[in-house]
Amino acid sequence: MGKRTTRPKAQVEEFLPLTPAMFHILLALADRERHGYHIMQEVEERTEGKVRLGPGTLYGSIKRMLAAGWIEETEERPDADLDDERRRYYRLTNFGYRIASAEAERLERLVKSARVKKLLSKTQVSR
Amino acid sequence: MIASDSGQPPLTTSPLATQVYCLLLRGYPSAFRAEYGTQMAQVFRDCYLAEKRQGGLQRLTLFWFRTLLDFIRTLPLEHLESLGKENSTMKNLGRDAVAFLGCTGIILAAFLLLSYGRKHEASSILVFGYVLDALVVTGVIGNLIVFLLVKTTRLDAVRVALWTFLIVNGLPAIVLALIGSRIDPQFRTTATLVGYAASFLIWFGIHWAWSQTKARMQTAS
Repeated sequence: MGKRTTRPKAQVEEFLPLTPAMFHILLALADRERHGYHIMQEVEERTEGKVRLGPGTLYGSIKRMLAAGWIEETEERPDADLDDERRRYYRLTNFGYRIASAEAERLERLVKSARVKKLLSKTQVSR
Repeated sequence: MIASDSGQPPLTTSPLATQVYCLLLRGYPSAFRAEYGTQMAQVFRDCYLAEKRQGGLQRLTLFWFRTLLDFIRTLPLEHLESLGKENSTMKNLGRDAVAFLGCTGIILAAFLLLSYGRKHEASSILVFGYVLDALVVTGVIGNLIVFLLVKTTRLDAVRVALWTFLIVNGLPAIVLALIGSRIDPQFRTTATLVGYAASFLIWFGIHWAWSQTKARMQTAS
């Protein structure tokens, strides 16, 4: 999973909350490396078409996350024969994985609070 | 928008829409465009072709609307970031220039004083002369090493200055203290040691003070 960086939890939480675009990109890269268009497809599929990243948002976020060391470019090409060699693949770094986990935990706490305030029923949450 | 991405045509034979989008891309800062322009055009083309396959003028209109919205939203952001980077680069260059001129000025002044003292055989500046001598020699060598190390590594500038000036002052001081009197019967060990000690304190002091000033300037900006 890329660079092995160990940073204290407080340092990870400095970056929270993430922008929705950044969190969606990190989520898309959580299970495997993907290129830009794959990231867009994954986000669109996962959100049932509710979130569609434009090229400017996608690559602007990728640029910032590369600079912050949350993601990195990889030479590994999963479908080398089928794939366009001009595409760049990205994957999460260990630090990026921790950022995404911390954001997911933050959102989970928010959902729990919403449930306590009866804004959500249990069935809605589990769905 | 979902589509398979195998068997893509090259960007040079892209549909007119991609070429129009490439024109839009020219609005982004050149560094961003150079790094991600091709990728963005490729992603745009993939999305456009997928929309087209799924058919309908309405779909394509909506796609263009979303793309333009994305462009309008991200364009100022990228320009602001690029402007910030340029400003910080210019500020850093300015600070480096001040530091360089400052060091050169000190070395020149020390060299001129030393030359004057030697020319006029001013005995009153004898110990001072040793300090000036050390200041010039270690200033040139030490500052060059510090500059190169700070620019090429991520080492802390103050620590680099501390160790560099400790070595470039300490080594000649020890060597001269050991063999100076054997080479020159009139060699003054104490004055030499005082000269190098003073030179170390002056150069390291200047670097420490400069790092503090730089940190304050960065915080202020």
